[in-house]
Amino acid sequence: MNMQERNISDNNFEQCIKCTVCTVYCPVVPVNPLYPGPKQAGPDGERLRLKKGLYFDDTLKYCLNCKRCEVACPSGVRIGDIIQSARIRFNTESPKLRDMVLANTDFMGSIATKVAPVVNMTLGMKPVKAIMDCTMKVDSHRTFPKYSQGTFERWYKKNVKNFQDSFPRHVSFFHGCFVNYNYPQLGKDLISVMNALGYGVHLLEKEKCCGVALISNGMIDKAKRNAGVNTESIRKSVYERQMPVIGTSSTCTFTLRDEYPHLLGVANHDVRDYIELATRFIYRLIDEGKVKLVFKKGYKARIAYHTPCHMEKLGWGIFSTELLRKIPGVELTTLDSNCCGIAGTYGFKKENYKVSQAIGKPLFDQIGKLKPDFVACDCETCKWQIEMSTGYQVKNPISILAEALDLISTSEANK
Amino acid sequence: MGHLKKDNEFDVIIVGGGITGAGTARDCALRGLKVLLIERHDLATGATGRNHGLLHSGARYAVTDRESAEECIKENMILRKIARHCVEETEGLFITLPEDDLEYQAKFVESCLAAGIRADVIDPKEALLMEPSANPDLIGAVKVPDGAVDPFRLTSANVIDAKLHGATVLVYHEVESLIKDGDTIKGVKVFDHTTKQTKEYYAPITVNAGGIWGQHIAQLAGARINMFPAKGALLIFGHRVNNVVINRCRKPANADILVPGDTICLIGTTSSRVPFEEVDNMYVTADEVDLLLQEGEKLAPKLASTRILRAYAGVRPLVATDDDPSGRNISRGIVLLDHETRDGIKGFISITGGKLMTYRLMAEWATDLVCRKLNVDKACETMEIPLPGSEKENIDEISKKTWSKPGTPHKAVVGRHGNRAGQISMSSEYDASLVCECESASVGEVRYAIEELDVHNLVDLRRRTRVGMGTCQGELCACRAAGMLAEAHKCTETAKQDLQSFINERWKGMYPVCWGDTLRESEYSQWIYSGVCGLTGEGSTEKI
Amino acid sequence: MKFDTIIIGGGLAGLICGIRLQKAGKKCAIVSAGQSAMHFSSGSFELLGRLPDGTETERPLEVLKQLPKEHPYSVIGEETVAEYAAMVPMFLEECGIKVSGSADKNSWRISPTGERKPAWLTLEEFVSLPDKDSKIGNKALIVNILGYLDFNTKFLADSFEKQGTECRIVSLKLDEMERLRKNPSEMRSTNIARVMDREEVWSKAIDQINSMIKDEDAIVLPAVFGLKDSAIIEKIRTRLGVKTYFIATMPPSVPGIRAQMRLKAEFEKCGGYFFLGDTVKGADYNEDGSIRSIETANFGNIRMYADDFVLASGSFFSKGLTATPFGIIEPVFGIDVKAEDSRDNWFDRYFWNKQNYISFGAVAKNGLHASKDGKTVWNLFLAGSIIGGYNALYEGCGGGTAIITALYAADEILKK
Repeated sequence: MNMQERNISDNNFEQCIKCTVCTVYCPVVPVNPLYPGPKQAGPDGERLRLKKGLYFDDTLKYCLNCKRCEVACPSGVRIGDIIQSARIRFNTESPKLRDMVLANTDFMGSIATKVAPVVNMTLGMKPVKAIMDCTMKVDSHRTFPKYSQGTFERWYKKNVKNFQDSFPRHVSFFHGCFVNYNYPQLGKDLISVMNALGYGVHLLEKEKCCGVALISNGMIDKAKRNAGVNTESIRKSVYERQMPVIGTSSTCTFTLRDEYPHLLGVANHDVRDYIELATRFIYRLIDEGKVKLVFKKGYKARIAYHTPCHMEKLGWGIFSTELLRKIPGVELTTLDSNCCGIAGTYGFKKENYKVSQAIGKPLFDQIGKLKPDFVACDCETCKWQIEMSTGYQVKNPISILAEALDLISTSEANK
Repeated sequence: MGHLKKDNEFDVIIVGGGITGAGTARDCALRGLKVLLIERHDLATGATGRNHGLLHSGARYAVTDRESAEECIKENMILRKIARHCVEETEGLFITLPEDDLEYQAKFVESCLAAGIRADVIDPKEALLMEPSANPDLIGAVKVPDGAVDPFRLTSANVIDAKLHGATVLVYHEVESLIKDGDTIKGVKVFDHTTKQTKEYYAPITVNAGGIWGQHIAQLAGARINMFPAKGALLIFGHRVNNVVINRCRKPANADILVPGDTICLIGTTSSRVPFEEVDNMYVTADEVDLLLQEGEKLAPKLASTRILRAYAGVRPLVATDDDPSGRNISRGIVLLDHETRDGIKGFISITGGKLMTYRLMAEWATDLVCRKLNVDKACETMEIPLPGSEKENIDEISKKTWSKPGTPHKAVVGRHGNRAGQISMSSEYDASLVCECESASVGEVRYAIEELDVHNLVDLRRRTRVGMGTCQGELCACRAAGMLAEAHKCTETAKQDLQSFINERWKGMYPVCWGDTLRESEYSQWIYSGVCGLTGEGSTEKI
Repeated sequence: MKFDTIIIGGGLAGLICGIRLQKAGKKCAIVSAGQSAMHFSSGSFELLGRLPDGTETERPLEVLKQLPKEHPYSVIGEETVAEYAAMVPMFLEECGIKVSGSADKNSWRISPTGERKPAWLTLEEFVSLPDKDSKIGNKALIVNILGYLDFNTKFLADSFEKQGTECRIVSLKLDEMERLRKNPSEMRSTNIARVMDREEVWSKAIDQINSMIKDEDAIVLPAVFGLKDSAIIEKIRTRLGVKTYFIATMPPSVPGIRAQMRLKAEFEKCGGYFFLGDTVKGADYNEDGSIRSIETANFGNIRMYADDFVLASGSFFSKGLTATPFGIIEPVFGIDVKAEDSRDNWFDRYFWNKQNYISFGAVAKNGLHASKDGKTVWNLFLAGSIIGGYNALYEGCGGGTAIITALYAADEILKK
């Protein structure tokens, strides 16, 4: 008899003992009174929703899905997952055009990169911004991330693909939409670093957008399809090609690992542990004594590291910061744990702009006080938000590593 | 009854604020009688509030008790019409497990049909689609029109309607003695627990609707009713595991019904005889809990890993037939006793036996007899007229009509009060703020309950609003609600004692099932109330 | 990843232990599954309020020897407890936490419902009274924020009036708070405090209070000020001019959260690693039964190694202990636990009586070592409410045992 030895409920919602700690750490509650708060929207509301779907409250859309409530919860309740899965199950509103545009990062990217200068110029023009603001409800304060001319994938195939097999060890790279369409340089940096460490970098057989924006904008069917394709490609990489998968975006990585099984019902337990953030992967290799880093002489930087919300949830900020600390000449401050407010596409929406900036204010203030040379961060949307709101440049730790490493000596050391 | 009466004179006095008394009060009031309803505690404190909350289709009794089954299905259909805000039309399944006799199913279906109960044999796979939490090993399933009914809400709605039709309702008034004139009962002498005064009320007819405690009321009149208290223990789980009632298709036995009710579900019952002296103090034993779990797991295996909120027990008011003082021939049907013909006591009748499901019919019978005795010629209408709150529309429609942007708390209020939700102020932000977050009960709703629904203390409030019925069992809401009661009743000391009694009342249901997260929750409550607040239970009283 | 010491649990005990070790030059990591019970703090730490037999104690240090031998104070030794107790105020001060009170004689804190409870050290905004029935003043103005339900002004007034203080209850209405009220469930202490932290808001509140004061000689306010920075508390006191009593609210506790944030900041400032939202999944052991490394949910295949481990994982609430219908276990290492077998002996039917289950916990050997299958685990130390053998709630000694066992465990590690 295994009577009552364990309490099992969806997303542990029943383990909630109503201590209210989650509401203390919710970044939305203090700035948006329309949001019922994580406890009410999550485990409390869930009991009513289990009774009847009509108890679903559409104010759940104000949840950023930052998962800070989950990090704070002493009971292990996956509060963010409860809220998002309730939205998936009960939301009846169909996504607006604006949300579709924002959510389909890969589709929009694939079109925009072909005509990048025009798109960038157009999106930057005041009248266009005004039209976007009025008709699309995309806030006019927003600077749109610039699209790159030509995708990362194209660059990769043309320039580096042919010699990746020559390395002794191999990884697959989940580059994500940002690297592919907006900022291929980060992907290039990753390849320099990994190659120097003796790793060949390969693309997945098929890569779709991780789907984080689709989930938050309610396009679940498409998110599920993407999740299926990605997980299958990852499975092939891990089991057929013996290549673990690394990413440079904390949000993509988190989505591939945890949101797929928890929110989309796409099982990935056989591959989850092989999906890693590049900084963690490199840190682990150093920790295990498998690779060596040789740094340039005279590299100096005062860096402030911002831990993105999903990085807090992963608990992996330590690997990025420890890696940066290994660079001689780096003076690193870890910023207080605060949400930047952008939360993917959330902050782009006109109705959320004010809230988004209010959420980020403590972070922006701290950066302003600290006056670092630049900010380091593993998330691209945080990057946009911080750059727009503070004027400070934000770099991915992998790019910093690429700058600071003596790539030739490192290659020698890892031969 | 046209002639003027003094304030303490009525046409009929009804003793007992359970569902039978409340239903009888309503029926009498609807027929134009001047009614007084007296209850020594709060409404629905006895067996009324301590059962499954099952809207029986009657199927359970079909094989063994055809008469009860027929009564059930008729009343079932009536309650769906007149008490829609108290009823959930969930449907029910009778499942046969490998260890059960599948032949019983045929007999069962045949008996159901004979009693007028729809009973469809369905494929086990279909049954699992209908209710995924049911035991997947099931070998047979029958679909019947079971449902869920909220006994507190049902009692409250009957009382509201009685009051709307002129009835006077006195809770926390205990009958000390019956006023006799020779062989006639002229009225009652009651003790008011709030003011500590004794008062007298008069009426040509007194109705004893005291349930198990009716034996005592009858004694006061000089009549003898042999009640046989049967204890039934139940467990409440933290959320709805099932949305369809699950029964075992076998002869009625322990723990063979799992009913979804509001935000929870509950399994029961056990059955054991208890001495009459213990009926006021029911404790659930560890053995009963274990038995309920072992059997419950068979209905829905998920129960083995679902958090249990509390355990409680009720007492079935079973009555021995008159010629059988030993109690061997116990009737489960309705027992209406005219003590004038039975015992030579005029002006006194007893209505007992029966069950929650048949309360309306019991009330109809009792009221018919009252009317005959008072020479009132008016037919019963309770099978037609909806209860207050159940007039029309569903939760969504009412919410949208009442508020421009109904959120979860608004819908929760409508779910509990139906059409009467409009009387609850949720318009100001202060009124909309939540007292009880688990069940979404607002300041406005609590105030409405205190002002309109005869709420004297936190336990009463819980029965009207579900404050403190959620997973935390009153952890934070109790203190907030106590503050509001202190304000409303202008007595802080009582409110503080009441808070401590309430916490203890919640604990009484928790400790029998206190492990896992329920123990974590209890420890947290202990910290808050004994630790941070430093309360010691001083002045608290043991309440039901 | 290698550390000198890994502490499991980031509450009061874990943080104090971590700060002590970190300051002594050890490299420490704290693994904490969510936020701690400091979020529900009463505003005071207690050393000892009464003995297990119910005798109230006025001077805790003088009765330590009467405690049973399995009590953590007895395991540490009464003299050592006294030494630590004397040192704690300074230790906290260095972490930026100002306290008042002394171990020599208990003072009395005022609870959210107006009860008086014995206290040892009291956080800065609170006033702890010298005697159980000390009057707070002749006339008190009790001020709440309109619509805030977790501050029970009626209960407070009732208890002050019993001591002969005449009370008047008023509510503040502030436009900035009206915004909060739009949310039906989040008119809570921390959210109020976030708004109150802004100078223009608390300043306006003080003006309003000043305009309402008549002849009162005491002002009573909910402790919803100074979530980030306690400096405003002194400013408010000065501006009000009248003796001001901040009273703890129902949870969450603003002063408790502030104290927790200070301790965490101090730990990190000293170079400690705090891993929030992570849980220990398993451990591997050396041949002598000592712990070699642990595996956590977030670190996954990167194991965490340390020379010493401190288990400060709390009691049931924090999942330091797990109760099943069949018994009580310590879920991280499966170490020995002292508890009653039969569920019937866990509880008292009356909520307000002493509850046995609260005294259940890990067996603490000499030096606060844990034991497994009866054998001492030489590099695993216990701190805080995971330790069994005492009823923190009944005896009124939760804060004291947490702080003192944490310091002691740290010093035992440093002695090695």
